[in-house]
Amino acid sequence: MSGIEVDKVTKSYGVVTALDDVSLKVAPGEFVSLVGPSGCGKTTLMKIIAGLDRADDGRVSIADRDVSKLGAADRDVAMVFQNYALYPHLTARQNIAVPLVMRTMTAAQRLPFIGGFVPGTGERRSTIRREVEQTAELLAIGHLLERKPAQLSGGQRQRVALARAIVRRPLAFLMDEPLSNLDASLRVQTRKEIVDLHRRVGASTIYVTHDQAEAMTMSDRVAVMMEGKILQLGTPEEIYLDPWDLRVAAFVGSPRINALPADVDTDGQVRVDGVPMDVTSRVRGRVTLAVRAEDLALVRADGLPATIEHVEFLGEAVLLHARHAMSGALLIARLERDHRHRLPRGGAVHFRPKPDRVFLFDEAGRRVTRVQPTGAVGRETALV
Amino acid sequence: MSDVVAATPYRLVRAAPMRRAGEAVAAWLLVAPAVIAFLLMLLIPTLAMVALAFTDFELGRTSFRWIGLENFSELLEDRGFRQSVQNTVLYVAFVTPLSILGGLGLAMLIEAGLRGRTFFRAAFFLPVVSLMVAMATAWQYLMHPTIGPVNNLLRSIGFAGPNWLGSSDWVLISLGLIGIWENVGFNMVLILAGLTAIPRDLYAAAEVDGATSAWERFRLVTWPLLGPTMLFVIIITTIRSIRTFDTVATLTQGGPNKASELIVWTIYQEGFTFLRMGYGAAVTVVFLIVVLGLMLLQMRLVERRVHYG
Repeated sequence: MSGIEVDKVTKSYGVVTALDDVSLKVAPGEFVSLVGPSGCGKTTLMKIIAGLDRADDGRVSIADRDVSKLGAADRDVAMVFQNYALYPHLTARQNIAVPLVMRTMTAAQRLPFIGGFVPGTGERRSTIRREVEQTAELLAIGHLLERKPAQLSGGQRQRVALARAIVRRPLAFLMDEPLSNLDASLRVQTRKEIVDLHRRVGASTIYVTHDQAEAMTMSDRVAVMMEGKILQLGTPEEIYLDPWDLRVAAFVGSPRINALPADVDTDGQVRVDGVPMDVTSRVRGRVTLAVRAEDLALVRADGLPATIEHVEFLGEAVLLHARHAMSGALLIARLERDHRHRLPRGGAVHFRPKPDRVFLFDEAGRRVTRVQPTGAVGRETALV
Repeated sequence: MSDVVAATPYRLVRAAPMRRAGEAVAAWLLVAPAVIAFLLMLLIPTLAMVALAFTDFELGRTSFRWIGLENFSELLEDRGFRQSVQNTVLYVAFVTPLSILGGLGLAMLIEAGLRGRTFFRAAFFLPVVSLMVAMATAWQYLMHPTIGPVNNLLRSIGFAGPNWLGSSDWVLISLGLIGIWENVGFNMVLILAGLTAIPRDLYAAAEVDGATSAWERFRLVTWPLLGPTMLFVIIITTIRSIRTFDTVATLTQGGPNKASELIVWTIYQEGFTFLRMGYGAAVTVVFLIVVLGLMLLQMRLVERRVHYG
């Protein structure tokens, strides 16, 4: 079947290392996102898979065939570009037909005027016409086929670009930030449509985005990339609940995860500014304690003291922004909506992380594997 | 679309007639320098020239007569004028397409090349910034029948080179070659600018879509997207070659035997050598009408096929 396999790919531009020994396996029919901040190498990796760029080292296989030496045209992948990359002089119909025309018609058949006299041209043209129309129906753009890209809205161009990609049923889809030029509401709607489309077409898909929410909501698996490396590859759940690296934990999730400097004493007790937390660690010394906003509870005392700076009303909950007294770090806690009346600006609060939801990272940012919650669950029930 | 946009502020303005009048005055003041310059430098001289074409005015004389279409009927019978028109048509038909194709070729080569882009760009653009009158001297030497390097080269590989600028069979071709040399760099720079405006993603899309060869990508992306640039290049090159004057004036003076008379040289001769301003003006009017007609025709023909992104 038609999976994608990237094996130890390295790429550098001059002195800049864009990709550092990257390996990735996408199962047949799987939807994998490459997510990371700009400059992390995600687009470079996609271009290397597409054949638009060559790796310095390493192998790319598509459907169990080594394609490392092949050009983009011979890899049988389709790509959706960030700015759609539609041919502006062609109508939507012609745009969608291009991959079929280029691949299934001979050079002679493609010639204007003369091509019509080459045997088989007419049949070919009508097959293409039918396939284009079927694909257009699938994307609900049948009524737009005679328009040129300039006469289409952003969302419509997006659909034409998608149609052009799926019309020839390629082995794999590559999508390079296809939603980033759409406005917010359309973006959320199109997410689902792309996922639906992927299910119907069923080809392996690699989806590049800098938007972690997009990656988390759409993908079977997410690869978080930074500085030319894949830091973690896993299901959205794994990435969120079990991050291996502080940078992954910080990149994924909104609001950003709370991170505080902490110390582990000789007994393995984790302390933040001397305040003992309800967790122990086998790693000693300086660590970073990280906890997500929804896993930070308010306590009456014996917690992390902080001053309220801002309360954000989300509707279903409130986000409490408070400045940690000692480290000066900003802590964000997601609390029940009813709390908002009891949280005056400048007021003092105490936080306590839920012990079973605390992540510890060593000084290199790697996850300290064993975190032992030490009971004392009852404490978090207390309030201001 | 633009109509809708324009209509809205207009309606708002109508509500305040005083302010509208003030705005109109301000608007006229703002465009006044451009309008005055246009009237003084272009429109009035052109109209004066058209008026002159119906007179027998000669430079230095104090009076003139209105002679109606006499100048024009003389033109029709003037063998020199007919020769000049014929030469100009041949010259333009030779120089325009070749210097455009040459410019396109050079631009593509430079665009594809990895090294020396700036050098080649500057080298081919040199004729545009250099003084043609000075360059003509160099060409005169290069094309000299006996001591010229061109003919020396031809001799060394066994050909007897022609008398480039001295033979009536060759002189128009020689001037044409110089014209191509002069225009090719200019076109190259314009086309290079057009090429850089083409989004890189379109080439990537073309490649993914199965355009394997460079030619296919050229047909699918480069050529259509270069449309607006090419329209401009075609028009500007046609105009530039129609009004060629300096090479004729410095190298051949229309000779030998009027074989290199181009239309602007004829106008110059009539007006400034024979001082027949009226007749010269008549030639200019014909020249102007032809050029304008040509431009309109080109715009019509090409614009229909041009896509503006």
